[in-house]
Amino acid sequence: MTSERNPIPVTRLLPWLVLVAMLAVTWGLWNHERQVSRKELHAQFEFALRDTVSRIEQGESAYEQMLRGLQALFATTDLTARDAVRGYVETLQLDANSSGIQELGVIRWVPTARKPHAPVIQSVPDLGSHREAPGRDAWTDPVRRRAMEKARDSGLPAISGKLGAAPAPGRDAAPGFVMYLPVYARGRALENLDQRRANLLGWVYASFDMNGFMASLYGKRAPGISLSLFDDVSPGDASLLFRAGTPAGDGAAPRGSALSAKEYMVLSGHTWTLCLGTEEAFEARFARSNDRVIAVIGICLSLSMALLVWYMIAGRAHALRLADAMTEQLRHMAQHDPLTGLPNRALFSDRVRQKLADASRRGSHVAMVFIDLDRFKQVNDSHGHAVGDLLLQQVAKRISESVRASDTAGRIGGDEFVVLIGDLSDADSALPIAEKIKLSVARPFRVNELEFAVSCSMGIAVYPGDGSDEATLTKSADQAMYRAKEAGRNCMKQAAVP
Amino acid sequence: MSKRCLTTLLIVLAGLATLNAAGPDRSRSYTLALHDHGLLYSAATNAGIDKDVADELIRRSGCKVTVSLMARARIWQLIESGGLDFSLSGITDAERDKFAAFAWYFSDKFYLLVRKDTGIQNQADFEKKGRLQLGVIRSFRYSESANRLVDRLQEANRLSQAGGLEPLYQLLVQNQIQGMIIEPFDYPTLQEKEIREISTIVAFPDPPVPHGLIMSKKALPAPEQEKWRSLILDMRKDGTMLRIFEKYFKPDLAAALVNF
Repeated sequence: MTSERNPIPVTRLLPWLVLVAMLAVTWGLWNHERQVSRKELHAQFEFALRDTVSRIEQGESAYEQMLRGLQALFATTDLTARDAVRGYVETLQLDANSSGIQELGVIRWVPTARKPHAPVIQSVPDLGSHREAPGRDAWTDPVRRRAMEKARDSGLPAISGKLGAAPAPGRDAAPGFVMYLPVYARGRALENLDQRRANLLGWVYASFDMNGFMASLYGKRAPGISLSLFDDVSPGDASLLFRAGTPAGDGAAPRGSALSAKEYMVLSGHTWTLCLGTEEAFEARFARSNDRVIAVIGICLSLSMALLVWYMIAGRAHALRLADAMTEQLRHMAQHDPLTGLPNRALFSDRVRQKLADASRRGSHVAMVFIDLDRFKQVNDSHGHAVGDLLLQQVAKRISESVRASDTAGRIGGDEFVVLIGDLSDADSALPIAEKIKLSVARPFRVNELEFAVSCSMGIAVYPGDGSDEATLTKSADQAMYRAKEAGRNCMKQAAVP
Repeated sequence: MSKRCLTTLLIVLAGLATLNAAGPDRSRSYTLALHDHGLLYSAATNAGIDKDVADELIRRSGCKVTVSLMARARIWQLIESGGLDFSLSGITDAERDKFAAFAWYFSDKFYLLVRKDTGIQNQADFEKKGRLQLGVIRSFRYSESANRLVDRLQEANRLSQAGGLEPLYQLLVQNQIQGMIIEPFDYPTLQEKEIREISTIVAFPDPPVPHGLIMSKKALPAPEQEKWRSLILDMRKDGTMLRIFEKYFKPDLAAALVNF
């Protein structure tokens, strides 16, 4: 045995479908906005990274040009020319734009076979802690020596690795570096490595304080960006050159930061690692909060739309139910007696036609019983129509209760009732039912504390003997009922019996 | 006799004028920038393929050209703005075509150099393994597949950018990046024991990409570009370009690079 499951009506699902669809659209818009916002943030961060790299490169390039000037000076004069560096620096009139530079100087290359050395022979001014002491042999320091060798071999500027600075009163212990440019003997060929090494006279150099170098850069550090600069490619405390913004440990972005990046810059043949990370201020400035607005509005709209659809569907269902009920009520009113609720003449005629057709097909009998209450007018006259109507209602109830469920009792006039009894095997089979009705009506009625004794006159006509259709059968029953009246009332007469 | 001499002189002068008109404009000086990149140019030794090509180009043109060393990103920026006339060994894309003209002189393929311990067999593997970082030189573009890989990894924040090759090799050895994109000019570095032992090469499935002289469209009018392009073509035709490459590569590889 299979049980049939009632399908859920689409109308019941519609509010949920609308809710799901609207939430899906909201999610789509929210996600799109988040992507756009993320791309915007990335673009701004990428721009900040490019800008920072560019500022550092420009700063380094400006200092390189300054050193090239000194190199050019020694291309036309002797390396040992006294006060040449001092004159050059005085001409430069170094100001705040060059605050990173601490010293400009000259180193002489002394390639003795026993112990090559490179003493500082001129230097000015003494601006900070990264000063090269006059006479100091720069060749003995491996960090400086690597850069000097690189400059010597390439003929290009080279910067050293990180140089620490000893704390001194009134000075920050900031790290620094030195930039070198080679000075070769004039007029000599410098096409290959050997020629460059053979013709080296010395170096010009500029030493820098990292804080000053970064402070002298043109442009402004992007707000909300933490910046760390490390020597070489391994970020760490030992290699830290400069830091601004939230400390970032080994160069990783600060905790809670949305974006971070590393850029390995190559400056004059030396690598610096630039670490950039966003802080909350950056995200607050550039991140858009439209996604949250879209989410809240979208969810509210989705719920509202779903509720609206549910309300419309519920309202429509209620209206349909109301219309059905009213239609049923109207149909009932059109087919029933408003006072007793029994079928009226129209419905009764319809039932008669059905019963007659059925009886004709099956060869059975159908009885039509006319019932007229005796002297009912007196009740109305004595007690009023209100009491009369209540009495008629009770009579109708008793008649209905006296017949079978398959039979039909109707009211066709003021105090006239009619009963249709079907499925009879012969004409006399209707008599017991008619007698039952008569006895039922004969029992006293109680209306508004008043007791009434009612009798009735009844006429019985049976199909097919007393009539073959509704009209003839009705006429026969009516005539029989009048004969009962003439016979003194409170009796019943059969149409077939004169 | 004097009439014949005059005629000869006129012919010689006309020939010289034609010769001068066929070459680049010598009334101005030019700027050319090199970038430090493996065998193309090494600042440490002030030598390389690009340096040799530049020297020969300058010699043939008879023009005054100031050669300097710059970061590749700065070179492209100046080529676009017209502040720099030339650079060398450049490849093109739709964006660069807008501001740069090229004269091709060699063609090669790009390779993915990856650490052996990653187990990478092809470029798709690299993209799939989300923890792997790729090192690239800022502003560099590569072949189609390589560009696609770079662009996707950049979106995923898996790109480490550097100003040159040297820091990328250091990062690869330190396992801070697990891959980088290389060309045949980088082979000598790969011969270094430390790099050779930890890395392996995966080829991108792209055809060789032509490389050439980069000319700024803003700095050089089209007829001038054509004259410089003609000089490069002559260097290829007369075998000069092949000889330059043979200084740095085995003959068969040099021929494969130059004959495309």
